[in-house]
Amino acid sequence: MPRRSAVGGLDDPRAGERCQRLELERAWLVDPWTGREGVGSLLVEDGRIADLRWAGGRVAPGTRPELLVLPGLTDLHAHFREPGDEDAETIATGLAAAAHGGFTRVCLMPNTTPPVDGPGVLRQVLAAAAASGSPVRVDVYGTTSAGRGGLGLSAMGELADAGAAGFSDDGSPVADAALFRNALAYAGALDRVVVEHAQDPLLTAGAEMHEGLVATILGLRGWPRAGEEAAVARALAILDEVCRAAPTGARPRLHLTHLSTAGSLDLIRRAKSTGLPVTCDVTPHHLALHDGWVAGDRRWAWDAAAAPWAGSAVEAAPYDTATRVNPPLRTPADAAALAAGLRDGTVDAIATDHAPHTAVAKAVEYGEAANGISGIETGLGLLLAAVDAGVLDLPTATRALTVGPERVLGSAPGAGGPAGFEIGAPADVVLVDRSEGWMVSAEGLLSKGKNSPLLGRELGGRVLLTVAGGRFAYLDPGLDAG
Amino acid sequence: MIAEPAVTTPTPPAWRHRHLLDVADLGLDELETVMRTTDAMATVLARPIPKVPTLRGVSVTSIFYEASTRTRVSFEVAAKNLSADIVNIAASSSSVAKGESLVDTVRTIEALGADVLVIRHARSGAPYLAASIFGGHVVNAGDGWHAHPTQALLDLYTLRERLPGADLHGRKIVILGDILHSRVARSNLWTLTATGADLWLCGPATLLRGFEALARALPGDRRLTVTTDLRAALRDADAVMTLRLQQERMAAGLLPSLREYAARYQLTAERLRAARPEALVLHPGPMNEGVEIAPDVATSGRSVITEQVANGVAVRMALLYLLAGGRPAESADAPA
Amino acid sequence: MTARQIMTADEVRRALVRISHEIVEKHGGTAGLALVGIQRRGVPLARRIAAAIDEHEGVRPPVGALDITFYRDDLSLVAVQPVVKGTDLPFDLNDLTVVIVDDVLYTGRTVRAAMDALMDFGRPVAIRLAVLVDRGHRELPIRADHVGKNVPTSREETIKVHVAETDGGEDGVDIDRLEREGAGA
Repeated sequence: MPRRSAVGGLDDPRAGERCQRLELERAWLVDPWTGREGVGSLLVEDGRIADLRWAGGRVAPGTRPELLVLPGLTDLHAHFREPGDEDAETIATGLAAAAHGGFTRVCLMPNTTPPVDGPGVLRQVLAAAAASGSPVRVDVYGTTSAGRGGLGLSAMGELADAGAAGFSDDGSPVADAALFRNALAYAGALDRVVVEHAQDPLLTAGAEMHEGLVATILGLRGWPRAGEEAAVARALAILDEVCRAAPTGARPRLHLTHLSTAGSLDLIRRAKSTGLPVTCDVTPHHLALHDGWVAGDRRWAWDAAAAPWAGSAVEAAPYDTATRVNPPLRTPADAAALAAGLRDGTVDAIATDHAPHTAVAKAVEYGEAANGISGIETGLGLLLAAVDAGVLDLPTATRALTVGPERVLGSAPGAGGPAGFEIGAPADVVLVDRSEGWMVSAEGLLSKGKNSPLLGRELGGRVLLTVAGGRFAYLDPGLDAG
Repeated sequence: MIAEPAVTTPTPPAWRHRHLLDVADLGLDELETVMRTTDAMATVLARPIPKVPTLRGVSVTSIFYEASTRTRVSFEVAAKNLSADIVNIAASSSSVAKGESLVDTVRTIEALGADVLVIRHARSGAPYLAASIFGGHVVNAGDGWHAHPTQALLDLYTLRERLPGADLHGRKIVILGDILHSRVARSNLWTLTATGADLWLCGPATLLRGFEALARALPGDRRLTVTTDLRAALRDADAVMTLRLQQERMAAGLLPSLREYAARYQLTAERLRAARPEALVLHPGPMNEGVEIAPDVATSGRSVITEQVANGVAVRMALLYLLAGGRPAESADAPA
Repeated sequence: MTARQIMTADEVRRALVRISHEIVEKHGGTAGLALVGIQRRGVPLARRIAAAIDEHEGVRPPVGALDITFYRDDLSLVAVQPVVKGTDLPFDLNDLTVVIVDDVLYTGRTVRAAMDALMDFGRPVAIRLAVLVDRGHRELPIRADHVGKNVPTSREETIKVHVAETDGGEDGVDIDRLEREGAGA
């Protein structure tokens, strides 16, 4: 067996085409289905996993292979802006960015213009995905309320029939508690998950960033933790009510997305212990960044935990609108609680909440800037930084991007998803070069959205290759004409 | 007879900034430089014709996205006293009202040849956006709730001028009123605690939000107390600064009524008796007499409110001189 | 170091005494005469000239100090903004002949600024100029009325005047050669 990792077998690979043969020797493999990680070799032939061999014995410290092989990742939460805001992102550019980020399956939020609140727009989005030629699998949520207006239910049944993965008014919460109750019950009968953006609109009116020390110093309007936690508590109480009344086979499922506070996870932890059918996700940016970034602090959350005082570590200009996101970047302590939630299973998934914006939407005063981080290409890199810092282990992070999301989506069409490294299954594989860092740059991002606070920052690995459904979804330029 | 006091500094004057965006990042040596330079400008103001040719040829543009006659005119007088050219843009009457972005406006102002941009904006941080694209010097004339650097510096100058020994160390200074929404309070917090004052912030609980945590997070050499108890705040105070209370706070449900605010927090002669007999009264203006401050207190011998206005011109002359009077040596401002 | 002394303490003293005689002679006495030193070294030089006049005329003309910071036309060429050193004119300029005193006359810009500054404080009958060293290279049509020593220099050279009151030690004038950038050590 060769001492170093090796990629072989590639014969003139081209994005979009079938992966005829791929030999990965002495790589670091992670199989989240079995929880196993270690040195091994993987062979793809004719688009399918042909062979998998784990090397025996222990790996001496410091000799871990530089090539990391993961199963294709699933992003539960992304905004591709089409239809309506194609200047910010299109389905084609979003899919290219997803593949560059290691994702082989993405679930798109329906807050487009017009929103996906009926089967017509849903089919339009799926058609655009097919036309893009990308092998990355696309699922689409329908809206929870009609037109995302919060007044009545969307065409839930028709959306489900057309293939909606679930329902969400993401971008805003379903403010009307009675409507939310009805949505959970109705979607439960359709066996679809309701993905809720937990935010109390009045507690967070006009909010610009996390309410805390940094907001006080910068004079920005605060988004208090209670604005999320009150909404989470309310959603859980309503879920409990709906569960009790649910007819057989119509059990509701609630997924709370982009949770950001320690208190929210405590509520989820308690709800799960009572058996409530609730799941949740957190984002890479809430795990790795913190509110000090708004003031120009550029330490990772885990490095800032011991000394969160913002004045000492400022290295960038404050008020960078790339740090404006909803929910806002929280404190290092909240970030640590999110990581703990992943480790103990309270958090089911990591989702990027990829929210691309045009330069125009961000080149404005902080309080006028659009919320969101273009994060689908940097999410894996942030998680690798967390792994390198010992905050997460690789199987946990990988599980939250594969097994976790599949469970959240439940039995939606095609669920079951990729079968990991099962011999004979279509290959969903990501190759990451860990031998050198990846410098994030606007030019290097395939997304149209360059709104990332990580521009100019080095992350702990570079995606070399993404194979989705047996076809090349992303190829590093260095592998071209291999 | 002309006697303009010598302004002696043992070391070369410290000034490391290309822009004046905040006071939190000014070192004690820089604060000292501003104070000394303001002394010199005060001597110019004391002349029969208070005008020197120092900034001849320097073009200053001021753009105020929020109306403020006082600060705008103060900058205008300061620039003219130094023989700079100044153009004032009222944002409400310009293309800004037609939806032009701040970025485009700043680029236009630069293309028109401005060397210094004085900006007032309702959004915290807006001057940083301006500084990231403007080739000259940006002066923050007040941004949202965040900072009002020249106000804090003129307050510091006024306090040092009027307190015996010109030393704020250990002096009890109270800022009273709507702290939450106040850029004046935030900027004074940095300069006053840096110079060793014993600073107290006092007001209704809803208008102090966040500041108790800030007090706890400050380094140990900065003294800051946050309280809703006006009596405790005023006891033996050396100076009291009242802040303007805005009508919008009632609508937002932060306070029951102006009447109740006045009953509990208005600075009256009676309440001021708890302070030191010679305690100073400051107000950044414009005042709501009869709301946050009783009329007789505002006009009493302890009030230095008109001195604040006069010192404002000297401080702004000093800052225009420090920013535009020389080639920036090495800038300590964060890169764009 | 290539510094070399061109005036000793004694030579400085003799030059100032000679200037004091010239001033009185040119003015026709001491009535209506005032000396104004340019901050910093012009001020002690003006005081010494006044003391010398006192010695031979028995009258000490009034001495003022002038800070010209606000009047310089080369501010934008100065890396660090100069300290304002204060102006002190303990007399009414309007009916006086004012002799501006400075250590070195070079481009003439400092004297131009000093005249502008003086004009802001009043309207002297006449303004004259006395300098310890005239090193040439004028950029403005300015000429000194009284010169301690004419020193031909190149622009690569610097003149350093030491005055006990401001610099400590002994009086003296040195000439030094500037190290050219990139020309090696």
